[in-house]
Amino acid sequence: MIFLHKMKGSGQSPPRVSLIEVSWSWIGSFLGIAAVSLIHYKLLDQTGLMMILGSFGASAVLIYGAIRSPLAQPRNLLGGHILSALVGVTAFQWLGGQPWLAAAVAVSTAIAVMHLTRTLHPPGGATALIAVIGGESVHSLGYLYVVMPAALGACVMLVIALLVNNIPKNRKYPEFWF
Amino acid sequence: MQEKSKAQSIPVEISEQDVVEAMKSIQGYLDITPGDFREVYQAAYALAVKRLLTSLRAADLMTKPVLSVDQVMDLVEAAGLLAEKGISGAPVVDHGGKIVGVVSEKDFLKEMGFGATPSFMQIATHCLNSKGCMIGNLRNRTVGDIMTGPPITGLPEMTIGEISTLFLDRQINRLPIISEDGHPIGIVTRTDLAHSYSIFGEGARS
Repeated sequence: MIFLHKMKGSGQSPPRVSLIEVSWSWIGSFLGIAAVSLIHYKLLDQTGLMMILGSFGASAVLIYGAIRSPLAQPRNLLGGHILSALVGVTAFQWLGGQPWLAAAVAVSTAIAVMHLTRTLHPPGGATALIAVIGGESVHSLGYLYVVMPAALGACVMLVIALLVNNIPKNRKYPEFWF
Repeated sequence: MQEKSKAQSIPVEISEQDVVEAMKSIQGYLDITPGDFREVYQAAYALAVKRLLTSLRAADLMTKPVLSVDQVMDLVEAAGLLAEKGISGAPVVDHGGKIVGVVSEKDFLKEMGFGATPSFMQIATHCLNSKGCMIGNLRNRTVGDIMTGPPITGLPEMTIGEISTLFLDRQINRLPIISEDGHPIGIVTRTDLAHSYSIFGEGARS
């Protein structure tokens, strides 16, 4: 009974943010994703290298849209992507013959590692998963995937976050670095 | 009386709606549900109260040195002494200086036949109607005769929280603080307590 009762949920949603906040979230995420995708499409197009990952869309939500969140801080952004990428590539290289297993191990282990290192960053789970399900273009990178796109892409997004999030008077980023 | 005092000391409860309103006043998306915030707040508040109630000890609060009166002191002389010093009560000690009781205005009033808590008007009426104002009852008596004893006492390491509870539970107005060997070294009065709580208030505002 308690088990089912708990499923009803008893709390409420946090209030909606102001339109100004929405605007700054839009500007920040536009510029952040523009930066990584410009590098990806304009500079690296023919090289087989990558700068953008699906999980960066999720990071953008946090570091431009929920900048106070502990999950959105530099330690989490960088640590989450780098450690998860490492876990993801390792999972694929060891268990790639069973993609379903490699995928599950990659995500679950990435979450555990992020927890243990206090770098929990939800998009990290996607970064680990993409290392397994990302196809030939990702697999061919090997451990380079950890440095680029994961680490470098996150760094570019971080620079944009530092620049944009500190322009408004009552917005500041980060809350803490490490 | 006691019930009322306890009810007043219950801290202000914040509602989830209060949290929602507060969150609205803060720019940016706060990554926590109002219910969770309330839980964190309540736990933190309880810790803060506990810290405040244990941070100050009797040794910090008490008035010292304390004026003690000897149990063989003449009552009229004792009354004069208390009046001169502007205090309403004092620990009573034996010839070795150890505490054996407490004497206060209440004991004098009781002895004079007024009951423990007469109003000023009752006393005034009595005095207007009876010659000598019943002061005769006090003559040739000693402090030891009318004091309240054995006394409720505290040690210097007693916390402000424990002292407050003791004041409330035992309905006392002053607590002699004694050394291990029973000598009074200070006294904590309700006024001392009020002063220390106002210090907490200042701290919270600054």
